[in-house]
Amino acid sequence: MIEKRSPVKTVLIYVMLIVLTVVTLLPLVWMVSSSLKLSTEVFTFPIKWIPETFHWENYVTIWEKINLATYTFNSFKLSIIITLIQLITSSFAAYGFSKCQFPGRNALFLAYIATIAIPWQVYMLPQYIMMQRMHLIDTHLAIILLQSFTAFGVFLLRQFYISIPDELLEAARIDGLSEYGTFARIVMPLTKPAMATLVIMSFVTVWNDYMGPMIYFTSDRNKTIQLGVQLFVGQYSAEYGLIMATSVFALIPVLVVFLAFQRFFVEGIASSGLKG
Amino acid sequence: MAQTETATRKAGSLKFRKALIGYSFIAPNFIGFAIFILIPVIFTIVLSVMDWDGFNAMTFAGIDNFRQIFRDRVFRSAFWKTLLYVVFTVALTLLASLGLACALNKNIKGRNAFRSAIFFPYVASMIAIGAVWKQLFEANYGPINNFLRSIGIANPPGWFASTDWAIWGVIIVSIWKYMGYYMLIYLAGLQDIPVQLYEAATLDGASGWQRFMKITLPMLTPSTFFVFIMLTINSFKSFDLIYALTQGGPGTSTTLLANYIYNQTFVYWDYGKSAAASIILFVIVLAVTIVQFRGEKKFTDYL
Amino acid sequence: MRKTLSILLIALIAMTSVFANGSSETSADGTTTLTFAVWDYSQNSYLSAVISAFEAQHPDVKIEVQDSPAADYITKLNTQLNGGDDVDLFLIKEADKSKVFYDRGQLTNLTPYIEADGIDMSTYNGTDANFIFDGNTYAMPVRTDQYVLFYNKDIFDAAGVPYPDNDMTWTEFEELAAQLTSGEGATKKYGAYFHSWNACVQNWGVQDGKHTIMDGEYSFFKPYYEMVLRMQEAGTCMSFAQIQASGLSYTDIFAQGNIAMLPMGSWLIQTMIQRNRSGESSVNWGVAVIPHAEDVPNGYTVGATTPICINNASQNKDLAWEFVKFMTGPEGAQILAENGQVPALSGEGYLETYAATPGMPEDIIEGLYASHISPDRPAMDKVTEIDQMLLAEHQLILLGEQSVNEGIANMNARYAEIMGN
Repeated sequence: MIEKRSPVKTVLIYVMLIVLTVVTLLPLVWMVSSSLKLSTEVFTFPIKWIPETFHWENYVTIWEKINLATYTFNSFKLSIIITLIQLITSSFAAYGFSKCQFPGRNALFLAYIATIAIPWQVYMLPQYIMMQRMHLIDTHLAIILLQSFTAFGVFLLRQFYISIPDELLEAARIDGLSEYGTFARIVMPLTKPAMATLVIMSFVTVWNDYMGPMIYFTSDRNKTIQLGVQLFVGQYSAEYGLIMATSVFALIPVLVVFLAFQRFFVEGIASSGLKG
Repeated sequence: MAQTETATRKAGSLKFRKALIGYSFIAPNFIGFAIFILIPVIFTIVLSVMDWDGFNAMTFAGIDNFRQIFRDRVFRSAFWKTLLYVVFTVALTLLASLGLACALNKNIKGRNAFRSAIFFPYVASMIAIGAVWKQLFEANYGPINNFLRSIGIANPPGWFASTDWAIWGVIIVSIWKYMGYYMLIYLAGLQDIPVQLYEAATLDGASGWQRFMKITLPMLTPSTFFVFIMLTINSFKSFDLIYALTQGGPGTSTTLLANYIYNQTFVYWDYGKSAAASIILFVIVLAVTIVQFRGEKKFTDYL
Repeated sequence: MRKTLSILLIALIAMTSVFANGSSETSADGTTTLTFAVWDYSQNSYLSAVISAFEAQHPDVKIEVQDSPAADYITKLNTQLNGGDDVDLFLIKEADKSKVFYDRGQLTNLTPYIEADGIDMSTYNGTDANFIFDGNTYAMPVRTDQYVLFYNKDIFDAAGVPYPDNDMTWTEFEELAAQLTSGEGATKKYGAYFHSWNACVQNWGVQDGKHTIMDGEYSFFKPYYEMVLRMQEAGTCMSFAQIQASGLSYTDIFAQGNIAMLPMGSWLIQTMIQRNRSGESSVNWGVAVIPHAEDVPNGYTVGATTPICINNASQNKDLAWEFVKFMTGPEGAQILAENGQVPALSGEGYLETYAATPGMPEDIIEGLYASHISPDRPAMDKVTEIDQMLLAEHQLILLGEQSVNEGIANMNARYAEIMGN
């Protein structure tokens, strides 16, 4: 019943989506094409979409010129650890902020949101001084501590927990589940799409972060893939072919995570049927 | 008498127990948050009334920092430009992401491919985005202006080479970049709407538009609240896209508050002024949030 | 709420209890480690060469390099110094920032060391002047770069025009550019190219050694803006709008062979040598002295100096000075020259050594002739703000959004605002 649509409308939606997709994928095409060029060929006017000769060796050179394996490992390590900590602590806190009653709840929540409003660069220096005193400069722990407890995850999950009917939780409590049990058995399974969203967003944010690692990591063994990209940018010239080859390579994990977790956006429908 | 006393004590201890459980849920996140984010942020708030070189002891400056930034013509122009940018970016991105989420929640062929493609600009390299869009918008030979000329606009805008049009170019690219990101949140929100509601409405003879207005939109209120707040905050804070496209130029025509703050912090190293400018941003965002918060409360009985 | 407060309190205690003091860096076997902050370490071969030569002379000292990306080097260095890091030595990338570090007390006064070791500062050709504050020297000049005129010999040959001689006025330059311009569209050859930086027009006003970008009265820029606008109009140089839109870097555009003459800093020499060596460019290029105004002597140019400093928080200042002395002294200068860098120290043979490095064009020594080098940005208060302001007005003039006179009036007004604020 719901799926019935006039064929004209369907065609129109497809045409719109295809046009949109072409526009959104232009930079990807540019990245891939540039990754197969020499640096001098990357910026031309107008854009040359297909390279004259395909310099596949760029994808080999990046592994020889920088410690890409180390950087990739570090990026994975940080992204996974931070995403996990965010997911666990944020879902706990979001439950507290949406389903528990305690004094100061709204004020604290507002404090969370308020911190999102302050640009990171402004409080970067006090954070750095703190890390310096803790002897954590040039350690992965510094970035893990600084990025795991952002307000973003708490806020996102709270918004999804709110829409879970209280009667459902009440029923679980009457069945003898503790507050923690209710959270684990009822709330978590119901909000898989929200958690999938958080995983994608958190992973992408940490994976693509440049300024944080740039400020905190000085040793080569600690550096991440985005710092690796920057190694091809010199003061007076940049090797754009290699930059783009590394960037295209760095996109793969992001896309894999996206594709792996977006399937939860379909499964949600079945489970939400429970709540009606 | 004794009985009621025990009852109140019991009720009191129950309330206390409940509060304790509540705190135990937020504690793991809150402790980290308080140390690594809240304290530095509070420090920044204090800094806005201080004079500090970043190294030596700070001195109290009163409202000097605020007075200085209001006297700065770059700040004043950035302030108004930011409001323009935020209003259009927030409204249009919200509509675009909601529309896309609804379209891509349907059972259409190639859904996953479309979703990935539309999310892609969010993760694309800034160098690539800058390179592609600067050429698309090029005034004389760029494809966008060629198209505009072909449909009869004799004098198309100068886009990034014009102080009047550069900001509109930036707004268009912002919407393009972030619509996929907020689409994800709406997609997740849509999964939370019970199918039965739609089935009942269809039986009652509601049209597609009515179902959207009466079920989808109200049920998405928490998502919309989140999208609206995050979009507002992120639009106020966005500077990297502008850095890639125009670097705040031509002149200072695309210098927004966030770029201003960035320059004060990372280029001029004036920590008091950057803190003061952030406080102004902070107050605006807080006001918007509280208004929204009230609205959300009225809308849902859950709070 | 009480709970929240106590959590906050615990957090505060946890924070303050982990206080630290600078660690002494002498290890058990008696070697001392000095940390040295630099940028683009792998691309600047002179750095590793100087370090290994120094370590060979001082077996008990180890230099540990902290490498950062060039674009963010100064941001990171600033954060480190403010955060209280005890990095011992650092280069300053934007030399005008040395004033800020000096004001905060983050630089070690080098004058006592200079006097104790009897170093003759006049051998640095005045490049040290930018780092003297209140009569004392706080940084030692390592290398200098100066603006020169790069030219593409192939385009000159094709046009049948003789190569630029090393004494040319801007008027002659403009005429020459017209002769060298040919073609249309993507393959058009431009006679000249002014990069989008404000320095690439404003420098020609500063070049005379009398004016600086901190003057506050900017009518001395006028002839140069008028010249560039004329050339844009005539199509003999690439338009500012197109440079912005294409995202081209001056290196790319020169290496692609479409530019006959490019006024640019001598740092491009090394980049071009590398591009030609790697086969990414086949341009046959040369270097000439930068053109000058009729009333400015030949050889007057603009330049930038890279200095080395000792952190005032360093635990090993005496040893750090040994390294500074080595790097900025004759041995260091020789190593710099061998690695294709112009040392700040003047003396016999350095320039010849430099000119003999592989890939150098044969006319390099004549092209690098300079009788006076003015700093591009003097180390003064608010110089960064003024520079950014000049850049904004520069863009509006070259895009035709304001006339030259309006632009200069705006520069003057905004200078007064910034300095009065």
